[in-house]
Amino acid sequence: MRSRIRSRERVSWLALALVIAGVANADEPAKWLERMNHALSTLNYDGTLAHWQGGKVEMLRIVHRVQDGTVSERLVSLDGSGREFIRVGSKLTCYLPDKHVVLVERTPAKVSLLGEFPAFNTQTARFYDIKDVARMRFDGRDTHLITVMPRDQYRYGYRLWIDDSTAMPLKTQLCDGHGKVIEQIVFARLRIRRHIPDSAFRPGISTAGFRWLRNDSVPVKETVAQSGMVWSADHLPPGFHMAARAAQTMPGAPGPVDHLVFTDGLASVSVFVETHAERTPGQAPKVEAARVGSSYAFSTVVDGHKVTAVGEAPAATVRFIADSVKGQKVSRSALPATLGTLPASPFAHSVPPP
Amino acid sequence: MNEELDSQLSAMFDNELPAAECELLARRLSRDPDLKARWGRYAVIGAVIRAERGVTLEGSVAGRVSAALSSEPALALDEAGRGADRTGRVQWWQPLAGVGLAAGVAAVSILWLRSQALPGGGATVAPALVATTALPAVQPVSQGAGAAMPDSFVVPPVSQRPVVVPATELADYVMAHSAFSWPFTRGSLLSALMVSEPGTSSTPVRSVQPAAGVQGNAIQNPK
Amino acid sequence: MSADVSDLSLVRRVQRGDKGAFDALVLKYQHKLVKLVMRYVRNPAEAEDIAQEAFIKAYRALPQFRGDSAFYTWLYRIAINTAKNAVVSRDRSPIEYDLDRSNTDESYDMQGRMKDAETPEGLVLTDEIRSTVNAAIDALPEDLRTAIVLRELEGLSYEEIAEAMACPVGTVRSRIFRAREAIDRRLREVFEGGLGRAEELG
Repeated sequence: MRSRIRSRERVSWLALALVIAGVANADEPAKWLERMNHALSTLNYDGTLAHWQGGKVEMLRIVHRVQDGTVSERLVSLDGSGREFIRVGSKLTCYLPDKHVVLVERTPAKVSLLGEFPAFNTQTARFYDIKDVARMRFDGRDTHLITVMPRDQYRYGYRLWIDDSTAMPLKTQLCDGHGKVIEQIVFARLRIRRHIPDSAFRPGISTAGFRWLRNDSVPVKETVAQSGMVWSADHLPPGFHMAARAAQTMPGAPGPVDHLVFTDGLASVSVFVETHAERTPGQAPKVEAARVGSSYAFSTVVDGHKVTAVGEAPAATVRFIADSVKGQKVSRSALPATLGTLPASPFAHSVPPP
Repeated sequence: MNEELDSQLSAMFDNELPAAECELLARRLSRDPDLKARWGRYAVIGAVIRAERGVTLEGSVAGRVSAALSSEPALALDEAGRGADRTGRVQWWQPLAGVGLAAGVAAVSILWLRSQALPGGGATVAPALVATTALPAVQPVSQGAGAAMPDSFVVPPVSQRPVVVPATELADYVMAHSAFSWPFTRGSLLSALMVSEPGTSSTPVRSVQPAAGVQGNAIQNPK
Repeated sequence: MSADVSDLSLVRRVQRGDKGAFDALVLKYQHKLVKLVMRYVRNPAEAEDIAQEAFIKAYRALPQFRGDSAFYTWLYRIAINTAKNAVVSRDRSPIEYDLDRSNTDESYDMQGRMKDAETPEGLVLTDEIRSTVNAAIDALPEDLRTAIVLRELEGLSYEEIAEAMACPVGTVRSRIFRAREAIDRRLREVFEGGLGRAEELG
C-alpha cells in the first residue's frame, strides 16, 4: 500500500502524523484549557477585573454562580457609569443608567457573559500552536502560562495564566502574531465562594423612570427566503469554515439580514448580508471599515448587497472573508425548510408579530 | 483664634469666599500650621458625614505627600502662566516629562444612538478607512514571541487616545457579532453599543413593563 | 467653573512655588481620593499609596492645569488613571481564595456590594473619630445641623442652602461655620486629649 502513495501524499501523511503527535504532546496544555473552561462555567466566584483594551482600562465586577442547574452572572462597570449586565438562566438584563434604559433579552442558556474559550482539538492544532510555557508566579499564586499562538498571520493568539489550584484564568491576553498585546483581562480580586446569595444578582441602581426595551430572538423562518438568495463564502482563509447561519433584524436595514458565522475553532468572524439590494434607492452602500475594541469590522458591497464582516481577527482575515462572500439565486422551493439558529442578537429591536 | 478668620476659612473651604479674600487667606493658610490643621479637620468632618473610608485624623496621605514634595522642585510659573525651563527661557505651558494624564482619561462611554447627534452636530463620523491590503501568501509567524519573556507581555499604561466613532451601522453589526466575541459576549460595558430610540428606525421597538420584583436602590454617584 | 474660586487661588499659589498651598489641597481632598481609589483596590494601605501617587502626579502636572475644569474634577481623573495603572501593572496584590472557609457569614448589602473587611488599626481610630463627629452633629441645634449636612452630604451651595432653609446666605455661612466650630471642639479633644491649647482660648 505504501509504495502506491505518491510523494505528495506521503508528505501530507507525514504532516498529519506530526500534527497528531503535536497534539498528543499538547494534551497537557489543552487539558488546562478544558479545566479552565470547566472552572469558569461551574465555580461560584466573584471578583474584580481590569479589562485593558485600546489603551484604556475598564474595571468590572463579576459575580458568577451555578445553582440547581441555573447559571447567574452579574457584570458591573466600576467606572462610574453604573452600567451592569445581569444574567439569570436565559434572561439577560442590561442596565444602562446613564441612558435611562434597561434592555431585556432572552439568550440561550449557554451564552455566558464572559466569553468561553473554545475547546482545543486536532482541528485547532493545525492552525494554532499550544504550549505550556512555564509555571509562573502571578499575584502570589502558582499558575501555568499557556500560550495559544497562531501558526499564520490570519489569526490572533492568546496567553493565559491559569491558576494551578482553581484553574481560573488570572490573566488573559489576546495578542497578535508578533506577540503584541491587543487586549487583556486581569483579575484584581477573585474569590471562589461556596455560596453566593441571590442579593448578589440584584442591580445596584434604581430603574425608576427608565425605558424598558425588549429583544427577543427572531425566528428564521422564511425571512431569508424573501430575497431569493443564499449566501456563502467559497474561498476562506485556511482553517475557517461556516459554523452557523441565521437571520435577524437590524435597525435601519429594510429587511432581515443573513448572519453567517465563520470560525477556525478559536476565532469567529460574523458576516452579515443585507437581503435587500439597496437601503434607499439611489444610495449605494459604502465600503467602510473600523476597529471597535479588538474587533475589526469591514463593510463592502457584493452584487449590490451590503456585506459586513466583523471579528476578533486581523484586518486581512476579516476582509478576506467579506470579499469572498457570494450569493446564489435559488428558487423559493429549493430553500431548506429550516436554517440554523444562532443565539439571539444582542439587539434591542423586536419585530412585531406578523 | 480669630473668629472672623475662621469664618473665612470655613467659607473658603466651601468655595464660597470671594476671590479677593481667597488670595489673602490662601497665603496665610499655606504658612500657618494651625490654620492648616483646622482646615484638615474640616475635611475630616465632611468625610465622616459622607462616610468616606479610612478617615484618620493624621491624614497619613497628606503627611506623606508633603514629605514627598519636599524633594520635588518648586513649580515656577510667572504671572502670565508661563513656565521657565532650566535654562531660564520662558516656555509656553510645556508639559513636564512623563505626564500624559492632565487632559484626563475618564472612562469614555462610546454609545451610539441613531437619534443622537454626534459631537460637532454632524451626521455619523466617517470611520477611518483602512488601506486595502492585497492578500499575502500564508507565512508562518515567529514562534519566539509566544514563548518568551514576561517583558513582552507588558501592557502599555492607560493613554489618552482619540476615540474614533465608527458609523452607526458598523457599530450595530459589531454588537450583533458580540455573542461570539471574546472576552465579553456582550461587548465591554465601557463601550456598550446601543440601538435606536423608538420612532427613528423602520423597525418599531416594543416597550415592556418592567419585570415584577426587580427593585433597586438609589444609584451611587461616582463622586 | 467659577465656583472653584478657593481651589484656584490655592492652585495658583502652588504654581508659583508655594508648596504649602498644595498641602491644603491635599488635606481637603485626601479622603475623597482614598474613597475613590478603594473602588479599585481593596487594601486601604494600597489605596493610600495610590492616592499619594496621584497627588504627586497632580503636583507635577499642575503647570498644565489651566482651570478649564474644576480642580477636583481634574484631580479625580488623575486618581482614576493612577489606580487603573496600578491594578493593571501590579504583581503583588493579593487575590483571596477562601475555598475552605464557609461563606455563610459573608453577606451582601442591598446594592450587591461585598462588605469589605477593615484593617483593625484603621478601624480603631476611624471609629473614634466617626463616633465623635456623629455625636457632635447630633448635639447640634437643628439649624446648624441642617446647614452642615446640606453642605457636606448634598453638596449644595450656600445659595441653594439659603433657599432650602429660607434664610439669607450670610446666615448659612455663619451656621455652617458655627457647626464646624462645635464639632471641631470635640475633634480636637480626641486629637489632643483635652481642651484646646493656650492659643485657642484667645
